[in-house]
Amino acid sequence: MVTETAPEFETQDLLINVGPQHPSTHGVFRMVLEVDGEVVKELVPHIGYLHRGAEKLCENNDFRQGVGYMDRTEYLAAHNAELSYVMAVEALAELEVPARAQWIRMILCELNRLSSHFMFFGAFGVDVGVFGTPFVYAWRERETLIDLFEEISGDRMMYAYFRAGGLAWEVPANFKERVHEVLKSSRQGVKDFDGLLTENEIFIARTKNVGIISAEDAIEIGMSGSSLRASGVNLDIRKTEPYLFYDQVEFDVPLGENGDVFDRYYVRLQEMEQSMRIIEQCLERLEDGPIMPEKMPRMLRLPEGQEVYIRTEAPRGEYGVYLVSKGGNKPWRLKVRSACLSNLQALRQMSVGQYVADAIIILGSIDIVLSEVDR
Amino acid sequence: MAITPGTANATPTETTPPAVAPSVPEPFVPTRIMPTEHPSEISRLTPIAPQPGKALYRQVLPGIMQVPADLLLAASRKSSLWPMTFGLACCAIEMIATYMAHYDLDRFGIVPWPSPRQSDVMIVAGTVTKKMAPAVKLLYEQMPNPKWVISMGACATNGGPYTRYDRVLQGVDKIVPVDVYVPGCPPRPEALIDSFLALQDQIMEERSSEGRGV
Amino acid sequence: MTTDGTTPAGDESEASVAELVDTFENTIWPSIDRVLAGVDVRPERGVLDLIVHVPRADVVRALRMLKQGDELQFNYLRSLTAVDNEADGVDVVYHLYSIPKNINVTVKVTLPADDKVLETATTVWQAANWLERETAEMFGIRFTGHPDPRTLLMPEDMTDVFPLLKSHPFAEIELLQGELLGHERGAGGDE
Repeated sequence: MVTETAPEFETQDLLINVGPQHPSTHGVFRMVLEVDGEVVKELVPHIGYLHRGAEKLCENNDFRQGVGYMDRTEYLAAHNAELSYVMAVEALAELEVPARAQWIRMILCELNRLSSHFMFFGAFGVDVGVFGTPFVYAWRERETLIDLFEEISGDRMMYAYFRAGGLAWEVPANFKERVHEVLKSSRQGVKDFDGLLTENEIFIARTKNVGIISAEDAIEIGMSGSSLRASGVNLDIRKTEPYLFYDQVEFDVPLGENGDVFDRYYVRLQEMEQSMRIIEQCLERLEDGPIMPEKMPRMLRLPEGQEVYIRTEAPRGEYGVYLVSKGGNKPWRLKVRSACLSNLQALRQMSVGQYVADAIIILGSIDIVLSEVDR
Repeated sequence: MAITPGTANATPTETTPPAVAPSVPEPFVPTRIMPTEHPSEISRLTPIAPQPGKALYRQVLPGIMQVPADLLLAASRKSSLWPMTFGLACCAIEMIATYMAHYDLDRFGIVPWPSPRQSDVMIVAGTVTKKMAPAVKLLYEQMPNPKWVISMGACATNGGPYTRYDRVLQGVDKIVPVDVYVPGCPPRPEALIDSFLALQDQIMEERSSEGRGV
Repeated sequence: MTTDGTTPAGDESEASVAELVDTFENTIWPSIDRVLAGVDVRPERGVLDLIVHVPRADVVRALRMLKQGDELQFNYLRSLTAVDNEADGVDVVYHLYSIPKNINVTVKVTLPADDKVLETATTVWQAANWLERETAEMFGIRFTGHPDPRTLLMPEDMTDVFPLLKSHPFAEIELLQGELLGHERGAGGDE
């Protein structure tokens, strides 16, 4: 797709600095491109502009306060981030979470997957060049989802709703009806996006066979989530190492064929349909009951010398929490295994040899959230 | 730990301030830089002083038609504030939500503009780390006068939940002068709209005094 | 939660009381012991995965043996990090996953606090590249043979500040521009 220039047309390589303030870098990300004409010869990413030290600050805080930092680490999919953390604390404290809390956690995590993927579509559409329409559609869908989250937890983005042992408080009485309403409108939203982008000739021409990464390279470089499944690797933590009640619901794992930008987009679109399927099954199986275990200690003190690595499938990939406790009520070490950091390592490999405009949409298709990369 | 107001800055070497408050506020002179541990940051993190300017029409025609000209200019400036899109972290998502159709900001004349050279307001939405601080200063200097800064969120106000980490700048007002602070983590879109209205009131008020960058 | 075959704690109480030695028979330890034949490894039972302690000089050799071969095939490096134990040194922790076999293992190496040098694992998995850069700049570990030993999250010229060490203090809360209020030291500390 990229032709070589004739030898008598010698040009000088140009160094272009994209970011850290740039409309299309999805946050404070900086990449320095060495460009020959329009072809990217070298790409050096610079991160760390949002390194806020969530890991160090959690060492100073109680176990119950860590949930707030996990929210802010992945602000578009806060429920999934909180889930890894509370599961790690529960594993060390050996708390038994009641079934109702697990079902509600599943529903909220899948709804958060929907809202995060809607944001991806919006931002990705802007990157590709469809300025305006996908973005506004995305936010229309996100606002319905965020209204529901606000009714449940009180906040639009930083929920802090999951607690070690269950949930903070009971969901409102009309929870099931509200989720059905939200699902109806989200279904329409997914159909809108499908009709707007998937079969659009220009979109296909821009995204097919661009930014290809093979399955072996993706595994070697540590990618996870939708970007890995778009290369054809069937690795979904909800299927291979099920947590919550994912082994009791039926859903498919969509895979891509080529590992290009179009596959990463299409895999996410299909994942949203599977998420809605999961939510409907969970709503049928939701039963009444407590949301916190009966013998819940007031002050959470964890045993000494224990550590655990909990991994869950966040919308961006494998979000892992490695928790080391040496007794007391504060963690000794909390490490957040960030999916976006590992996915971003592959950016250079995917972009070298492509055009500059393609480098932008490759960055958009990895779907990074800078506060998870930098923590 | 209660902090009694009044014992602030009461180090033995400082003199007590005068009993009568001065009528004209003292000009801000940045004499102290923040306590940092690393020598490489001392030059990068010095604050920018606000520069009160004098508009051309005042210099050429002092006193003539000043009040209606001031009124007209202030009204037109406040009705078409173009913010530079400078979303750093989570507050950026709420800022985008405010621009979008649900809580429309376009009805106030506020259009997000990516280039600093053509924007009026810089909304610092999110945590400013010390690695990012030189870029914030550069962008502020690239904006032409008159310019204002809205510090959105707890992190830009004083470091927010990350105030105990030394890689985080504890408030963007340590490097640029700020006009409006919006509390919240993240502030609701209504709070951001309220801050724009407060900024508009402030622009109308300071039209006759030589405010920032007039 | 399903695990990789580690037995739950209840089964151990069925063994005889005099037998306090854990034989790790129901875990993947026998295969690991077989694969890491020449290396002096010591297992530990973790909450979810098996933890394997490896001496410092044999780390990369052990990781390569775990990755290659048909028995275990740990081809996915999940996470690479370090834990600062103050006087006891720094533990470097590798979390490995085998996609074909669906098994997990945690590999731990202990470095003394005054000599934090370790061989790089980028020759085994490319995923270790950025993970080692981050661990190096946060804990002061030097990974010998790393192709690109720059800082990742810290500014490029700050190579002597290691934030995640326990000896690195938390910042004082600055209330006025560049000044601390007149309250006692340590007041802005815990809670």
